Amino acid sequence: MSETAAIRGSAVASPQKRGEGLTATALIGPATIFVAVSLFAPLAILLRYSLNDFDKATKTMIAAVTPANYVRFFTDAYYTSTLATTVEVALLSTVVCLVLGFPLAYVVARTQSRFKHLLIMAIVLPLFVGNAVRAAGWMVIFGNKGFVNTGLTWLGLIQKPLEIMFTEKAVIIGIIAVTLPFMVLSLQSVIEGVDRAVEEAAFSLGAPPLTMFRRVLWPLALPGVLAGTILTFILAMNAYATPYLLGGPVFKMMAPLVYNTFTQQSNWPFGGAIAFILMAVTLTLTMAANLLIQRRGRAAISS
Amino acid sequence: MTSLALVRRRAGRWALNGVATVALAYILLPLIFVVWLAFFRQEIPSFPPEGYSLRWFAAIFDQRKFVDGFTISFEVGVLATAIGLVLGVPAALCLARRTFTGRGPIGSLLLMPLIVPGVVLGTAMYVFHVALENALDVDVIGTFYALVAGHVVIVIPWIVRLVTASLAGVDRTTEEAAQNLGANRWTTFWRITLPAIRPGIVAGGLFGFVTSFGNLELSLFLVGPGRTTLPIVILQYLEWKIDPTIAAVSVVQIVLIAAVMLITDRYVKLARVV
Repeated sequence: MSETAAIRGSAVASPQKRGEGLTATALIGPATIFVAVSLFAPLAILLRYSLNDFDKATKTMIAAVTPANYVRFFTDAYYTSTLATTVEVALLSTVVCLVLGFPLAYVVARTQSRFKHLLIMAIVLPLFVGNAVRAAGWMVIFGNKGFVNTGLTWLGLIQKPLEIMFTEKAVIIGIIAVTLPFMVLSLQSVIEGVDRAVEEAAFSLGAPPLTMFRRVLWPLALPGVLAGTILTFILAMNAYATPYLLGGPVFKMMAPLVYNTFTQQSNWPFGGAIAFILMAVTLTLTMAANLLIQRRGRAAISS
Repeated sequence: MTSLALVRRRAGRWALNGVATVALAYILLPLIFVVWLAFFRQEIPSFPPEGYSLRWFAAIFDQRKFVDGFTISFEVGVLATAIGLVLGVPAALCLARRTFTGRGPIGSLLLMPLIVPGVVLGTAMYVFHVALENALDVDVIGTFYALVAGHVVIVIPWIVRLVTASLAGVDRTTEEAAQNLGANRWTTFWRITLPAIRPGIVAGGLFGFVTSFGNLELSLFLVGPGRTTLPIVILQYLEWKIDPTIAAVSVVQIVLIAAVMLITDRYVKLARVV
């Protein structure tokens, strides 16, 4: 029977094609429908809700079609400054991640050590441990009686403990630790694809390391730089646990703001609007960076 | 090569290794301190520690919320991964081996849950569940199955990604050879394709499980009263205080995840899949 199937398959093209089309649908259909419904139906409903009115006294949503929630966000200095802080923190974290991440990614990509897989595991493990646990680590380091303050006092460098917890500094330090592994992994996979001989060629032609990096490695690693930068930026923009635990009640970023508006104030329309503003700003800045880097890349290669 | 160039290269090497070490230390630092704290004798995280003790690991079991949180997270993770595999593996096979209209967009769609912000997805899913509950007149909000359904969405991208990656390394001609030798499609699948993608399935399942187990943002919106997952329990505890008990809970989680990683690494090179 299998033989006839094979013969039929090779001789008569069209029934085979139709059969393949059917199995393709059966294979990929369920996952596609499930993901599409689970993503788009909720987002559509949330978008619709974000155009509704909200009655503060009764905490109920009133059906309407109004841009009021979006207008409110952009006309209230409290909210615009939250957005500005979020973008600032995300940009800063992304830049630091790139500077710290590139050397580590290079070393991991080029190492011949048989412990390479352990090195990669050390980078991957924190990713999956959860942001709350890592925030706990920073709390131990930065707290009033924490490692840094005790150490500096013991050394006689400070008289009273530094206030690091619940500041923007703590949040940025925490977010960098969260996003750095993503940056390293994105860069490492691309650097591994860059032929070592190209680097050696630059060196033997007398290029100093920095020139080799600037003229050879960086342009070739640009796709990885782009992927890593985008991923890092998206994650930093949407960080929840880190600003919540390390920033304290006063420090505001967008993701905790969405959560609070939604659950504590029960203001679904406004919470929905903030969620969409967060997503729109993230996507716009990401696409802008994409265009910018790609144009630069093309210029670098053509010059 | 001139000696100056050699010196320059050596200096470059040193600078490179120096920054790389700093970066690696930076990534590991918070975990190292959490693990250290779990073994402190005193309750307050002050330095230097007054001594060391293992009693905090026993203290975990005095607080039901940790045990319950772990149980719920584990059950949700296993169930979401199982459903994710049933949906995701055929989809990945199809993406890697068939040409059909809409292949590109569908591929992107299946990976999209990775880039939709957790808080946005959580908010949206919550209102979706409210709408479903109103429309169908059955309990949806805060139920166990609603939580699992939400987690399946974030598990699928990992499975699709890792299974597709493992298929990319399989030479198609092996499958064609099997069919030419008279194997039908099922035999080819069981004898050739499945063994080849087994590492991808194992890795995808493990990564999916770990993603679900550690998820915070989505779960925050989907858990019901009395059904809190471990990451949420940890977050709520840390909001209140930091002590060796919560550090001990974290150590248990770290060890579990490290074990999963080590197992995964036996099947697929981690470097290639993340």
